[in-house]
Amino acid sequence: MDMAKYRQVFIEESTEHLAEMSSALLRLEKNLADHDAIDLVFRMAHSIKGMAASLEYDSITQVSHGLEDRMQEIRKAGRVADPEELGLLFRGLDCLESMVTAVRTTGQLPPPDPALAAVLTNRLDQPSPQAASPDPAVASAPDAAKKKALSPILAGG
Amino acid sequence: MARILVADDASFMRQMIREIVESEGFEVCGEASDGVEAVDEFKRLQPDVVTMDIVMPRKSGIDAVRGIIALDPTACVVMCSALGQETLVTEAIQAGARDFIVKPFKPDAVIETLKKVLEKED
Repeated sequence: MDMAKYRQVFIEESTEHLAEMSSALLRLEKNLADHDAIDLVFRMAHSIKGMAASLEYDSITQVSHGLEDRMQEIRKAGRVADPEELGLLFRGLDCLESMVTAVRTTGQLPPPDPALAAVLTNRLDQPSPQAASPDPAVASAPDAAKKKALSPILAGG
Repeated sequence: MARILVADDASFMRQMIREIVESEGFEVCGEASDGVEAVDEFKRLQPDVVTMDIVMPRKSGIDAVRGIIALDPTACVVMCSALGQETLVTEAIQAGARDFIVKPFKPDAVIETLKKVLEKED
């Protein structure tokens, strides 16, 4: 595969996603329960995570994954808890913007920010979505084992 | 030659799947960037297989599977999932999806899964 081509698509698509995310967070500033804005930020974070993981951009994957997990919790709650949590989302956005800018301008992947990813995921002191899975064998297993765990369903389908 | 409809809101992912499947001789007969378009394009193109992202605007991939299966109970849909989406994959399989592939895509795994579901079709 021509990964240079995909790097360019990643930069273009991520930049668009981050602009949409920024606009949605500004809407959330006015209404912490704006469901459309919550869904959009979730989808954008999810999409950036998928692209970054495909390019093995671990630091971007880590932060976007943290932001996606946080947005998943916010979707379940139906609203951003408070301005402090909104500030955390803006911090995640700023971090992703600077990382994508670094890739665009220098071609280099910036170092990871595990502290931010952790605080995005754990601030509410709730179990992560994976830990909360009804079937820990499926949630924590590597690809092959996960497929095996789902195989009775696949066979039945 | 099998005809494939690729549904994903990310152009990046659509291009990647297209490159993987075309390298194996499959034809990408169409693309959709959300769940509503996926159902519409399925109706119009009648592909052999649909690769379906889960998280999409307007209509989720799971609801799009339900829409497609309602149109054609024999339709062949393969979900594109990410780590942490096991519950959603299970829901999609129960809605009628045949199998799933995991992002980031491994070309060999994508081809193997598509061949497997197509063999079952035959």
